[in-house]
Amino acid sequence: MEFNNSSVDNVRSQMRKGVLEYCILSILNKKDAYASSIISELKDANMIVVEGTLYPLLIRQKNQGLLTYRWEESTQGPPRKYYAITEKGRGQLTEMDIAWKEVVDTVELIKK
Amino acid sequence: MKTVVNVGIGGRSFIIDEDAYLKLDAYLNKFRAKTDMGYHTNEVMDDLEMRIAELFQQDLGSKSEVVNLSLVNKVIAQLGMPDGSADDGSFGNTNRTTYSSESGRVRKRFYRDSDNTIIGGVCSGLAAYLNLDIVLIRVLFVICFFCGSVGFWAYIIFWIVAPKAETAAQKCEMHGLPVTAENMSKFSHNK
Repeated sequence: MEFNNSSVDNVRSQMRKGVLEYCILSILNKKDAYASSIISELKDANMIVVEGTLYPLLIRQKNQGLLTYRWEESTQGPPRKYYAITEKGRGQLTEMDIAWKEVVDTVELIKK
Repeated sequence: MKTVVNVGIGGRSFIIDEDAYLKLDAYLNKFRAKTDMGYHTNEVMDDLEMRIAELFQQDLGSKSEVVNLSLVNKVIAQLGMPDGSADDGSFGNTNRTTYSSESGRVRKRFYRDSDNTIIGGVCSGLAAYLNLDIVLIRVLFVICFFCGSVGFWAYIIFWIVAPKAETAAQKCEMHGLPVTAENMSKFSHNK
């Protein structure tokens, strides 16, 4: 049924939205990255469909002090923003790891 | 032959077709309106513009070609909106279902026509809104001016209440045309 499909899609996109910030911090925890490589990693993992979602999130997380950026010169064109996670961001990531485990465990427990 | 515009996007300059420029401009305005993060919005827009410049550069390579409408459409489809929705090509219409469900019917709005003004553009705006001859409206208003103060006050109130159609998108709405790059270009020519 059409209606069911769209409501499943809606739930799925809500779930992804909920963990998107968690994913951004996880990616930057591995290594520093340009916005474009964060985008391509999220796209490969089917986390985002359009790129526009990401830019407001990055600025918001930067303002919260979770991540920072520096300007890196590039061989062609103007310098680009190179994002990195901060200590505060690492702290939040650890808490998010715990929260994520809790959610997954709870859902598994209920389904049993 | 086509008119081209020279624009600076994300610190780089591009030559872009006029229809493509209008489409991109409408997209950026809509993205800005949807971002709604106060004074941080500019920072988001800077990042977005830098990404657009990057994508244009990737597509054009080192060739000094013109950015056309199909490239702009491709980039807009890739970027989408901050809430994760796709851009539907209309301006200021956040609800895409109402747009399509009305089967092409476009919302018409009452603006003052800044291109055809004698006093404040009220009559020409009214003529566009009601699809009537502008001369007829003007004659009616002039008659009302002489028959008591009703016409005068009606004009003043319209003048205050109705916004002026300044952008090409508003002019499309005033004439009840869908806000597409093609329609918008009609109005940007006679500026």
